[in-house]
Amino acid sequence: MSRAKLEKLGIDLPLFPVTSVGSFPKAEGLGSARTDYQRGKITREELQRREERATAFWIEKQEELGVDVLVDGEQYRGDMVAYFAENLPGFEQGGLVRSYGNRYYRKPIIVGEVKWTQPITVDWWKFAQSLTRKPVKGMLTGPYTLMDWAFNEYYADRRATCLALAQVIRREVEALIEAGCKIIQVDEPALSVRPEELPVALEGLHVVMDGLPAYFITHACYGAFEHIYPKMLEAPVDNFDLEMSNSGLDMLALFRRDPFTKDLSFGVVDSHSHVIEDVATVRQRIEQALTVLKPEQLWLDPDCGFKTRTIEESVGKLRVIVEAAKEFRSAAVPAR
Amino acid sequence: MQILLTNAGSYPRIGETPELQLLRRTIAAWERKEASDADLRAAEDALVRAALDDQLEAGLDLITDGQIRWYDPISHLAGKLAGVEINGLLRLFDTNFYFRQPVVRGALQRSRALIVSEYEFARSHSSKPVKPVLTGPYTLARSSIVANGAYDNVGALTRGYAVALSLEVQALARAGAEVIQIDEPAILRWPGDLLVLERALAELAASKGKALLALHLSFGDPQPLYERLQKLPVDILSLDFTYNPKLADHVAAAGSDKPLGLGLIDARNTRLEDAAAVAKQAERILSRVKVGPCYLLPSCGLEYLPRDRARSKLKLLAQVRAHLKGTP
Repeated sequence: MSRAKLEKLGIDLPLFPVTSVGSFPKAEGLGSARTDYQRGKITREELQRREERATAFWIEKQEELGVDVLVDGEQYRGDMVAYFAENLPGFEQGGLVRSYGNRYYRKPIIVGEVKWTQPITVDWWKFAQSLTRKPVKGMLTGPYTLMDWAFNEYYADRRATCLALAQVIRREVEALIEAGCKIIQVDEPALSVRPEELPVALEGLHVVMDGLPAYFITHACYGAFEHIYPKMLEAPVDNFDLEMSNSGLDMLALFRRDPFTKDLSFGVVDSHSHVIEDVATVRQRIEQALTVLKPEQLWLDPDCGFKTRTIEESVGKLRVIVEAAKEFRSAAVPAR
Repeated sequence: MQILLTNAGSYPRIGETPELQLLRRTIAAWERKEASDADLRAAEDALVRAALDDQLEAGLDLITDGQIRWYDPISHLAGKLAGVEINGLLRLFDTNFYFRQPVVRGALQRSRALIVSEYEFARSHSSKPVKPVLTGPYTLARSSIVANGAYDNVGALTRGYAVALSLEVQALARAGAEVIQIDEPAILRWPGDLLVLERALAELAASKGKALLALHLSFGDPQPLYERLQKLPVDILSLDFTYNPKLADHVAAAGSDKPLGLGLIDARNTRLEDAAAVAKQAERILSRVKVGPCYLLPSCGLEYLPRDRARSKLKLLAQVRAHLKGTP
């Protein structure tokens, strides 16, 4: 089904496409560049130049490794909610709140109607796509997660907030499609935080995606999926990108009970560990995946974004995935 | 009906000024071994006092120490018990906050006090009574994993935690605590375990001496359980009203045999409620409560809010009470 959609969109992918979840560690000294910019030591243009250089680094790396569906690595983003909050009128930066231990972040506040006035990610997508002939994914944060990870002082309730944000994200999806983007990832890591609200999250994704010509992926992680599976399969996405390895592949038991009906970007390496898995470990995870999925359904990637890993760890983990994918491709029947 | 103002537990340990960022800086330095244990303790003390001051200034009657010294609501208690190791991060209910998960490898045992010294410090720096807050045995059990077959099931593990915590309840009561709050949010996610919770609370109640036991439930809708919660062996039933807009109607209709804690002020969102509207809701409920005093408090701990908004929510409690008294 989804293979047919990819073909219709003119995207030719091998069996077991390798991709990654979104973020890569900041490259080319970008960490200090952002601080330098905030302190007025470098100009906005200089910061942008360095972000472009870092993006080019990651595109080249992914090509070199043999990744099939690329990401821009989000070198220009702080975090996945703050980035959109900074670029959408209606949001305001909030004060510090704790996320765990001694870690704090600024949680945005919705203070007025959130409006889409111009493309947010399109220029970066175009830049990244101009550097490669392989498809680059458009990367957005979904309306339910944007709602859940912000304070709301404007909309009536959580559902109203989610649906209003969904209209905004749909405009960005349309802008990406118009620019030529065909694979669009709309992340919903908050998908399972309130199982009783899953219908709201699904409603939001329908508003974002219905009737639009793209192959849609949704990434979710750190979840209590047992509370929302198989209902989550009602999402209008072609591919769910799920963290599998961090939880010892325990979701496979759910898939045995109720078959997984979409394509699955299967996290075959742990994004939160320093240890680079060996090919044998990844091979074993793929074998496990193939006990419940057809080969045509299976994409391979890390559990989650790599922004907390080092460049070496990120490259090492991706390399192992590509090697394992190659082994399975040569052993399997061709996709078409 | 007498209305007392209280805090639900945690309070922000950071703010925008350098003084309010002392604890963050000191912990970071301590981790690099550039600050001593004494430096760390002094920074904690300073931020506890800032939390006490904010509550006293807002006019609260019963305050907490803000749980400033707690890494999280789970590992801070479980990690001090014999038989427990602390593991990786897990999301705390539906928040965007993460706790470290306890791994129970052997018999749970309270070999030392958990928060008695924290309570004593706060009390010695407060002109108002201090309410110690403990995460309850059922929620600790639901947040833990068992290794080595140390406990057979969640019921047995809850009992294990209850025995350990009952010693802490006893020690807190002996140290002078008049009200001890037990947080049991997990029961709203697994309501079928109410009997397990009831037995655990009975264990704590047997050790409370003259102290009053307040059960606080947050991070979910308590309405389906409300009538059965009334029968639990606690002195005060304290609820989060923010998950279900109809809960206030339900409680007003059903009434209460116990003093209630009304978590009508949303501690998870920065929007400031209209004090008059909240007072109206509270009034309807309070007219159906048989015995007081009742408590007004935020829906859960305030550390999910930035500090300026947390302070505003505390002040809002006083405004609501003023409306109730007809003196806004």
